[in-house]
Amino acid sequence: MFDNYKNKFIPLILPICIIIFWYLITEGLGIVDLYKLPGPITVCQAAWILILNGKLLTNTVDTLVKVFAGLIAAAVVAIPLGILLGWYKTLEDFASLVISVLRPIPPVAWIPFSILWFGIGMFPAVFIIFMGCVFPILIYTLDGVKRTDKVLIESAQTLGAGDRDVLKRIMIPSAVPYVVSGLRVGMGIALMCTISAEMVGSGSGLGYMILTATSLFDPGTTVVGMLVIGLIGIVFDLIFTKVQKRIFW
Amino acid sequence: MSIEVKNINKSFESKKVDQLTVLKDVNLTIDDGELVCLLGPSGCGKTTLLRLIAGLDQPTSGEIIANGEKVSGPSGDRAVIFQQYSLFPWLTVLKNVTFGLEMTTGNSKEENIALAEEYLERVGLIEFKDSYPHELSGGMKQRVAIIRSLLNHSPILLMDEPFSALDMINRHKLQEQLIEVWQRFENTIVFVTHDVDEAVFLADKIVVMGRKPGRIDKIIEVGLERPRKRESKEFILLMESIVENLDMGELDKKSLE
Ligand SMILES: Nc1ncnc2c1ncn2[C@@H]1O[C@H](COP(=O)(O)OP(=O)(O)OP(=O)(O)O)[C@@H](O)[C@H]1O
Ligand SMILES: [Mg+2]
Repeated sequence: MFDNYKNKFIPLILPICIIIFWYLITEGLGIVDLYKLPGPITVCQAAWILILNGKLLTNTVDTLVKVFAGLIAAAVVAIPLGILLGWYKTLEDFASLVISVLRPIPPVAWIPFSILWFGIGMFPAVFIIFMGCVFPILIYTLDGVKRTDKVLIESAQTLGAGDRDVLKRIMIPSAVPYVVSGLRVGMGIALMCTISAEMVGSGSGLGYMILTATSLFDPGTTVVGMLVIGLIGIVFDLIFTKVQKRIFW
Repeated sequence: MSIEVKNINKSFESKKVDQLTVLKDVNLTIDDGELVCLLGPSGCGKTTLLRLIAGLDQPTSGEIIANGEKVSGPSGDRAVIFQQYSLFPWLTVLKNVTFGLEMTTGNSKEENIALAEEYLERVGLIEFKDSYPHELSGGMKQRVAIIRSLLNHSPILLMDEPFSALDMINRHKLQEQLIEVWQRFENTIVFVTHDVDEAVFLADKIVVMGRKPGRIDKIIEVGLERPRKRESKEFILLMESIVENLDMGELDKKSLE
């Protein structure tokens, strides 16, 4: 019981120390100027204001909607494509060069085109998120399909399974853990992309909130935005950990 | 179903030598309903020959005829029980067992489940029907794999050292169960082993293989009556004669003691 208590407590030690240190160098002892780094109290005040006027909620929801839209669009394209490429070697060879060239391009590099193509608002951001997560999901899915244990495929064949059954009942299930890992990686990238996208071509969302706050000399709000992004990351991570635990093969 | 292996040669591309000849001039006839053991030291090509019969690999030259037809690819007629565990990890025991039925028969779901449950009951695995493979022991996994193939009524069962990972008591038990099942279903079984005792206990015919290159050295008809008794004089004599006559290399001599 004590062990359990200890395990839950250990991860909290460092954040508490950081907050105390943070308070001391800013508001506590005034070592760092407040316009360079706001103190924890300023941040709490900013958070309180943002909660009261509802901006925190609307901006967070706005960002999440974009993240999900982009991620789902990417999954809808990348998962079937990954399965297809994993199944037909020729198709994979056919597409491999294009994928290798497009993959390393950082998603934010698409910002100019996204604005040209989709104007402003939600769509350019969704497009950038899409470009950011489509490749990891594709590669993970492709890899998962290709890594299907040969013995399982051959067992199925000697039990009378045809090619389609092998794909549907062996390769796809065996790729599921890889697909989930791909979605997990994609989710992380999506969150980062959203913020960058919102800083350029958008009038709403957490990224927009962070950027405008900085130009309005409101560093408290900036930090609130950063922390909320971190919290969203933790929540998704927990969800994915739970999901991955349920996939035991 | 009978199997005819005609003038089979099999070589693999290899980095060290140009061609690694794994099987050379292999000829073998297996009659319908026969239980044949392939016996030989590690690396003599037993698995390779079994895979060729299954249609999972193609010979470099020669051909294999099963039930009058040339083998060109895997089929539900020739079930394979692999040396490694091969249950589908994302399916429960019951669903693993019904997999083949769903592929090959037009039975309703209920019929398949009823049949699967009946078989699981028989080998004492019914309590585990909703378990997943990773929750089973090695012997249990292998039994489930055997049931999965049996239920399919594959006329030919190709078994690659299915019991080698088990302890002696379980191995003997499963050997007896296999004989029972084989007598009931009258299927043709090709059983790979490197254990002389296992071969003498199971086989109608023992195909003794040698290596470098992999080949058939000798075919021994086992005339012993069933059920066979390991302690009987004939059993022991036959085992001794097999062990003496052969380059036993890495064969399991311990089984003699
Ligand atoms: N896919 C392959 N590519 C190259 N060489 C192979 C391949 N499969 C088997 N071999 C070689 O063929 C030979 C026979 O292998 P095989 O697996 O048939 O032996 P085995 O009799 O089943 O041995 P064991 O009792 O250890 O299972 C070995 O020398 C092996 O290295
Ligand atoms: Mg082998």
